[in-house]
Amino acid sequence: MIIGKGFEDINVKIPNDASDAGSHESTFNVYLTVVVRDSEGNIIKVHRQRSHSPTNNFRTAILPEQWYQETGTSASWINTLGTTNTITGIPNGAHALISYPNSHTNYQTYLVGILVGSGSQSNPASAYKLAAPIANGSGAGQLIYQAPTLPSGIIINGNSAYFYIEQTYINQSGGTVTITEVGIVVEVYLTLYTGSSTTAYNQGNILMWYDVLSSPISVPNGGSVTIYYTFTVNP
Amino acid sequence: MVAPDLANGEDIAKLIIPDDLPDEPTFKAYIEAKIYDKEGHVIDYRRQPMRSLTQYFLAFLSIALVGTYSGSSSTTAQSLLTSVLGMPSSQTSSGSADIGYSWSIQLGSGTQSFSPSLNSLAAPIANGTGAGQLAYGNTIVSYSGLTIYVSVTVTNYSSTTINVTEIGLIGSIILEYETSSNTYASTSFTYLFSYDTFSPAVTLPPGAIATFQITLSFSG
Repeated sequence: MIIGKGFEDINVKIPNDASDAGSHESTFNVYLTVVVRDSEGNIIKVHRQRSHSPTNNFRTAILPEQWYQETGTSASWINTLGTTNTITGIPNGAHALISYPNSHTNYQTYLVGILVGSGSQSNPASAYKLAAPIANGSGAGQLIYQAPTLPSGIIINGNSAYFYIEQTYINQSGGTVTITEVGIVVEVYLTLYTGSSTTAYNQGNILMWYDVLSSPISVPNGGSVTIYYTFTVNP
Repeated sequence: MVAPDLANGEDIAKLIIPDDLPDEPTFKAYIEAKIYDKEGHVIDYRRQPMRSLTQYFLAFLSIALVGTYSGSSSTTAQSLLTSVLGMPSSQTSSGSADIGYSWSIQLGSGTQSFSPSLNSLAAPIANGTGAGQLAYGNTIVSYSGLTIYVSVTVTNYSSTTINVTEIGLIGSIILEYETSSNTYASTSFTYLFSYDTFSPAVTLPPGAIATFQITLSFSG
C-alpha cells in the first residue's frame, strides 16, 4: 500500500475560514471586561472587548508529553525578567513538570495576578512582559493592586461554560492613571524526581496572556478599576 | 455615570460574557479526516469546525492561567482542579508532586447530545484488529506558532466496513508523586476535552487507513 499516493492530486478547496465563521461562534472565546468606578464607588465606565492573545509561554504550558516524545527536543518560555528557561524533553529521561500541591514539599505554581501597564507591544504572542508595567503603590502613576480572585468553579449555562479571573486596583496616586495593556502572570515551579531526590526549578513569573486594550482606560484619583478575564466554551 | 453599580452576580455575568462584540473570535478549531483505501488512494476528505469543547478543557487551561496552587503560600490546589477535574486538593507524597499531560484522539460509532460535562464518547471504537475495531497509531502533537495539531492514524484490519460518527479529544493529567519507599508513582485523570460528530459518517472499508487531525488555533 502506498500511503498518501493520490493525496497531492486531490482537488479539495480548503476554505480560508473553515472554522466557526458566519453564524457559528468560535467554540472557545475569551473576553476582557474593565469596570471603572469613581471615588464614590459609582461605575463611570465599562469597557468590553474580545481578548486575543495567549502568549508563546501559554502554548508551552499546555504542551502534552506526546510533543516531547515526538520531537525529542525541548520547549522553552521566557519569564518577565527576560530569562529563557528550557523544559527538557522526555527522551533523555529528565523532564521536569509543573509542581502540584502535596503533603510533603511544596513549590507553589500560582496566579501572581492580572498585571496592568501603560504601554503596548505589537506582537502579543512573543510578549513575555508588559511594555510599561504600572507599579503597585500610591505614588504618581501607580495603582494599589488588590489580590486577584481565582475562579471558584465553572459556570454552566446550557451548552456553554465559563470561568473568570478578577482583580481590582485602587488609584490613590493623586492623579489619573491610564491603563493600555493587561496580562495574566503565573509564578511557575517545575520539579524533577531523579530516583534519589527531587530538584525544583523556579521558572519565575511567566506571562501567559497579554492584551492591548482597544481604547485606553483612565482611572480617576480616588477611584478604582476591576478587570475581568472570562474564558468560555461554546458561547 | 454608566450604571449605579453591579447589583448582583447576574449583572456581572451579563457584563463579562458579551454577545455584541465585533471582531474575530479568539480561537478557531477544526477537524480533518483523510481516508485512504487499501491501495493508498484518497477516497474521502473532511474538514469541519470543531463545535463542542467541554468544561474539562476549560479546567485544563486553567492550569496555565492560574497555576495549580490556590495562592503563593497555599498548600492546596486551586478550585477548578478539585471541583471540576476531581484531583486531590493535596497529594500524599514523601517528596514533591507534579503533573504532566497526555492527549489522544478517540473515535466512536455512536452519537449523543452534547453537554459541557460530557466525559465519554457514546460508543468508542476499541483499539484492535477484530470486527468493529480500529488499530490506533501513536498520537502525534506538533505546533506552529500558536496553532497546535493533534493527529492519529487508524487502520481497519477487520473484514467489515467501519463507520466513524463521533470524535473526541481526550486529555489526561498524570499526577506524579513519591511513595514512602522513595519510588515514583503516578495517577492518571482522564477527560473528554471535545466532542464532535460526523454526518454523514466517515466510512473505512476493510484495509482502509485514515488520519484524523484536530487543529487548535489560538489567534495570538
